[in-house]
Amino acid sequence: MFFNIFSAILIVSSLMVILSRNAVYSVLFLVFTFLNASIIFLISNAEFLAMTLVIVYVGAVAVLFLFVVMMLNINSTKIKEGLLKYLPFGVLLTLVFVGELYVIFQGESLGFVTPKIDIEELFQNGNSNTKAIGLYLYTDYFIIFQMSAYVLLVAMIGAIVLAYKDKRFIKSQNIYIQNTVRKEDLIKLIDSKKK
Amino acid sequence: MGASNFLILSSIVFAIGLLGIFVNRKNMIIILMSIELMLLAVNINFVGFSYVYNDLSGQLFSMFILVVAAAEAAVGLAILTIFFKNKGTITVDKISKMKG
Repeated sequence: MFFNIFSAILIVSSLMVILSRNAVYSVLFLVFTFLNASIIFLISNAEFLAMTLVIVYVGAVAVLFLFVVMMLNINSTKIKEGLLKYLPFGVLLTLVFVGELYVIFQGESLGFVTPKIDIEELFQNGNSNTKAIGLYLYTDYFIIFQMSAYVLLVAMIGAIVLAYKDKRFIKSQNIYIQNTVRKEDLIKLIDSKKK
Repeated sequence: MGASNFLILSSIVFAIGLLGIFVNRKNMIIILMSIELMLLAVNINFVGFSYVYNDLSGQLFSMFILVVAAAEAAVGLAILTIFFKNKGTITVDKISKMKG
């Protein structure tokens, strides 16, 4: 019941993300989509992940998007020009994709799988969802946890290097210089026997 | 809530993200947002199967997807701002400087 309501809101707001005229509205609908997804996570007993989604996406990523949208100051009237040109192709490809998913999953019974990390058992031992995630994240999944920390570090360094202002390190292509280059500039003939 | 509910929801959200890449040829920011939507669909799938099978592994893996999505958004937006600084536009059709 609640799942259907919130998933309907999620689908409508994610459609509004890609179809709204103004990029700022898109970002705000993206925030709304993530809030609905976090409610669905709450219904699915994933409380820690729901709160992480709110903090990481609504608090950091969406604000980053909003900051970039407002900083770039794009002319919003010309944004939807190519919509009708590419819409039939996009709809066709999306329908093919959904049809393939339907063909794969129809009549497939998933059956019973013995859980590797049983939530029910963890819950009966007096662990909350957050504590259970911590118990496994810092022990069995420790290497992957550290690797994800390195991924974030590399992304941070990459973003800083890209946005760094010093012009000495920026290598840019100049087509005019490339096209007007002559072979005399690049090749020098040296008479080696003369010496 | 069975597995089919989560599968239908996540496939619809993933398809919307895929459609967003084709529809928006004028604004690269919305393409990045569509990628975020697709990653959210994957997350919904993981959490849904974690709920259906009573297994915590799905939630654990979903956290790593969150990390990758945050890193991707940071690097993508940095590339976007540096591109806007060089060219003065973020239209996808205009990104043809390499003449490949």
